[in-house]
Amino acid sequence: MQTSALVLFVIHALIIGVGGIMAVASRSLVRALVGLIMTLFGVSGMYLLLNAPFIALMQLLIYVGAVVILIFFAIMLTKAPAGGEEERPNQVRTYLLALMAGVLPTFVIGWVVLTDQPASINAPLETGLKALGQGLMEPYFLAFELISVVLLVAMSAAVILAFKRRQSR
Amino acid sequence: MSLWLAGLALLLVKIGLVLFVVLTGAAYLVLAERKLLARFQLRLGPNRAGPLGIWQPLADALKLLMKEDTVPAGADRPLFLAAPAMSAATAMLIFAVVPFGDSLTIAGRPVPLVVADVSVGLLFVLALSSIGVYGVVLGGWASNSSFSLLGAIRGGAQMISYELPLALSLAPVVMLAGSFSLVDIVSAQAGCPFIVKQPAAFLIFCVSALAESKRLPFDLPEAENELMAGYHTEYSGMRFGLYFVGEYVNMIALGCLVAVFFLGGWRGPLLPPFVWLMLKAALVPLVLIWVRATLPRLRFDQLMHSSWKVLTPLALANILVTGGLMAALG
Repeated sequence: MQTSALVLFVIHALIIGVGGIMAVASRSLVRALVGLIMTLFGVSGMYLLLNAPFIALMQLLIYVGAVVILIFFAIMLTKAPAGGEEERPNQVRTYLLALMAGVLPTFVIGWVVLTDQPASINAPLETGLKALGQGLMEPYFLAFELISVVLLVAMSAAVILAFKRRQSR
Repeated sequence: MSLWLAGLALLLVKIGLVLFVVLTGAAYLVLAERKLLARFQLRLGPNRAGPLGIWQPLADALKLLMKEDTVPAGADRPLFLAAPAMSAATAMLIFAVVPFGDSLTIAGRPVPLVVADVSVGLLFVLALSSIGVYGVVLGGWASNSSFSLLGAIRGGAQMISYELPLALSLAPVVMLAGSFSLVDIVSAQAGCPFIVKQPAAFLIFCVSALAESKRLPFDLPEAENELMAGYHTEYSGMRFGLYFVGEYVNMIALGCLVAVFFLGGWRGPLLPPFVWLMLKAALVPLVLIWVRATLPRLRFDQLMHSSWKVLTPLALANILVTGGLMAALG
């Protein structure tokens, strides 16, 4: 059981890694987006490994099914050409900063996980949907509602921007 | 170890049987559609290959397989080649969670008649239907053709707009059944099918599902008199065929889902469970064919209007009313 979990973990990590590299290194925007989709699929697989099927499918439903499709939309409507200022070679300093931005969290999270292991690290427990729903509606109600306020602000801002452009025309 | 192997063999047998039935069903659904459409239009339909044209699906499949598989110049080759498979695969995967009977007892052990009883089966179905959009969007984009691109944009807009009422219309079903598992949803309808308790949800689901299937009156992504064939204009041979396999398998899948969510699944008197499921599942494809012969195509603004201003608010109101009634009646 342990070894098969390890093998699956490595496969998913590879999917995430390859997808991430594709998302950053592709010249074509749509290819980059396909890389992003691969990464999101890998992350969803990780959730399944953590015994959280609800979160895994929500990840697919929301990110792969809705968010990325909307980005696709923007690309297809604008027919954005490949190339641009991202394509010029960066300074060495930028690469170093990027490396630090990646390595630092790895060390911090790795250190925390290694020194203070959560109880679920060996055998992940599945949280029932009822418990999840009660958690969102009772102890974490405020956080849950705040997220919806953030979404509401984003939505109304989008509507206002769209109307402003229509009036100025 | 031998038990493990037996389990694997059983799983493979189940998958094989389900795929065989579904693919044969899809092939003959094409024939049924051509025959029925011909009758609606006072024609005879295919009648040369075998008596009443029963070998027509085989002839069609053979023709598609023998055709040259072309890739247009300037296409994004890997994406172009992979996109049709996404359309067909997502449609077929839906059948993994559809229960087609109560559990059988073989050699003293209960064998559930479903490929996988996933605890979040309903979300699995919704996730697959939203991944199915990629077959349309990627195929249309990768073709490097304006017709395909326009079809892909329309397809993407249409499918994400109707996913919302589709998912929301199923929330009351989950509330009544108390579970996301399709097996539990069917057993929750032992007394009375959900169509009686949830007629509004049934209607919203049916209209949204019709829009998701991209068939008339919602066939704007293909719209043959404006876009040639929309997102699959540039496809030939079996890749074109895969889009069609996807469409027809999806029609059967929608039939099965309507049966599972609203008509009590495999439950019914006298006849065996599998026959009941097939009978109920056949209703939706037949209605879809009938609608195709009857209704004209919607305009794009009508399409968006009906999703965002009619179906979505209706589905939300239905959730509130159902919740209120459940709380009031305990």
